[in-house]
Amino acid sequence: MNLSALAGIFAFVIGAIYTIQAFMLPNASIGNPMAPKVLPIGLGILMTFFGLILTFQEVRKNGLKSKDKTDQKEKDDNVKKIVFTCGAAIIYALLFNRIGYILSTIVFLEIVLTLFNGKKKWKTNTAVSICFSVFIYIVFSKFLGVILPKIPFIYI
Amino acid sequence: MEILSYLLNGFTVALKPMNLMWVTIGGVLGTIVGMLPGLGPATGVAVLLPLTFTMGPEASLITMAGIYYGAMFGGSRSSILINTPGDGAAIAATFDGYPMAQNGRAEAALAMSAIASFIGGILAAIVMVFVAQPVAKFALKFGPAEYFMLMVFALSATASMAKGNLTRGFISMVLGLMIATVGIDAQSGLERFTFGILELQTGIDFLVVIIAVYALGEVFKAFKMIKEGKKKMQTKFGKIWITKEDWKRSKWPILRSAPLGFFIGALPGAGGTMASLIAYNNEKQLSEHSDEFGKGAIEGLAAPESANNAASVGALIPMLTLGIPGSGTTAVMMGALLMLGLQPGPMLFQQHPNLAWGLIASMFIGNMILAIVNIPLAGVLVRVLSIPPKILYPIILGLAFVGTYAISNSIVDFYLLVIFGVMGYFMSKTKIPTAPLILAVIVGNSMEQSFRQALTISNGSYGIFFKSTISIILFILTIVSIMYPFVRDKIKKKKSVAGLNN
Repeated sequence: MNLSALAGIFAFVIGAIYTIQAFMLPNASIGNPMAPKVLPIGLGILMTFFGLILTFQEVRKNGLKSKDKTDQKEKDDNVKKIVFTCGAAIIYALLFNRIGYILSTIVFLEIVLTLFNGKKKWKTNTAVSICFSVFIYIVFSKFLGVILPKIPFIYI
Repeated sequence: MEILSYLLNGFTVALKPMNLMWVTIGGVLGTIVGMLPGLGPATGVAVLLPLTFTMGPEASLITMAGIYYGAMFGGSRSSILINTPGDGAAIAATFDGYPMAQNGRAEAALAMSAIASFIGGILAAIVMVFVAQPVAKFALKFGPAEYFMLMVFALSATASMAKGNLTRGFISMVLGLMIATVGIDAQSGLERFTFGILELQTGIDFLVVIIAVYALGEVFKAFKMIKEGKKKMQTKFGKIWITKEDWKRSKWPILRSAPLGFFIGALPGAGGTMASLIAYNNEKQLSEHSDEFGKGAIEGLAAPESANNAASVGALIPMLTLGIPGSGTTAVMMGALLMLGLQPGPMLFQQHPNLAWGLIASMFIGNMILAIVNIPLAGVLVRVLSIPPKILYPIILGLAFVGTYAISNSIVDFYLLVIFGVMGYFMSKTKIPTAPLILAVIVGNSMEQSFRQALTISNGSYGIFFKSTISIILFILTIVSIMYPFVRDKIKKKKSVAGLNN
């Protein structure tokens, strides 16, 4: 699939949805009732327009097939890694307030480092995650005055 | 003379021991981040931003500037040693810097890159001293209509000058403006595009978008690079310095490229990358040794290095004096200033002269410190390049998340970070430039406010946008900036056709 053409279609769809949403915004009760809508409606229309242009440009130039010559297997591998990183980030977000900064960050970094650095080097990975989490926690909460969530029960 | 007394005042700010320390720390950290392949000054400032949260505005701005110059200095280290530019602006340093290192002249290349960067930076800072105040004074004449037209020009110039084509640039820009419309509308109090999510009422923080695109997006892109494995690198160095002959050959290229770089840097949308490439091509044409270019000609390294540092100073002009950032990095810095409650723009020079001039003075000091750090300590600093990226990139991710939390204390932003990070990755996959998006996210709100204020003044008549000479000139510039890519392509085609006929 030609990714750029897909991006064009995507832009078109976003533009269309945004425009409809913009028209559906309530009128302002003070001043010109249309005032909060004018710019969004304009933006939505511009986006649909540019989305269409990009789609046509790409289809005319390259057709619908992808011209990317990278190995399919390698591509899948990259996509898999990105999906896993995002998954780790979501787990991180879920744990963050529940088990505190240090523990959740160790979990997050351990997953990401395993992904980047491999399972075999788990010792290095664990050492890096623990050092980073503790170091950042100290720097932020002691020196920068940013309050990070504490580990429950022991309150560190 | 008024300017000199301001500058002197600035120096008393920049020379405070604490500020000196911060500019040094910022510079060293910036150099390190700048050295990492793919991570440039924008990422450096975005990731290291939380460091500055609790400092006062002065120290914060000076630290960020240190990170910025540091990243510019650092970007070329990896170009020279492992042929991998730290960021776009350092690409030109691979052309002759890497061949020099391969010819066994890595020391001279490292030294020359730092010397040229230093001279370029200092010359540009001198120009800055004399240009900043007049531009800011001029900008005081702008009303909402002129401001709106100025922002339209800055955005369209960025969109059309960015890599890729016009359509892609504009998609990126419009997307950024759309993101900026999320949240409660400041004038009417209406909720827009919040989808009922409470946390979105205050809008999407531009810093989150910036960190997502520049930190997460870049790390996602790096997955591919990490697999390619580490490149062998020289780790033992002799004395890092240049010969007299080297200096003789590079002197004029450095001096010529600095003003060029400053000018290009000050234009919206054209940043260090363009400045350094233009300077390189320029010198290639002017040089007596043009056949050596690409094989390790020292002036081929000196010229782009000087230009790109000068450009990084020039890029601060529109941000500080007009409140309109001309590049990704200055956009990040502006975001940080806004977070501190400071509105960059003409009023900055009137209301906070210490801050504005402190920053300008810190350009001189920062460049000096970085030259000192980068020449004798270059051998030590480049060791960072031998730490496997497999470990460094996860750390960048860790910093991105803690930075985001420090901004808002809310984990909803973690999800936004992931969403925009993936978006940034796909944008680069489909060759849609990210700089217009970042600029649009930052100026989006004030742009809409100016638009509506102008319409309120004119009772709804759109004629107000074409009333004053300034707005008309800005309108013409906007049209020119949009037409520019077409004209450029035409000329290129003509040239290549002519080339074929010959």
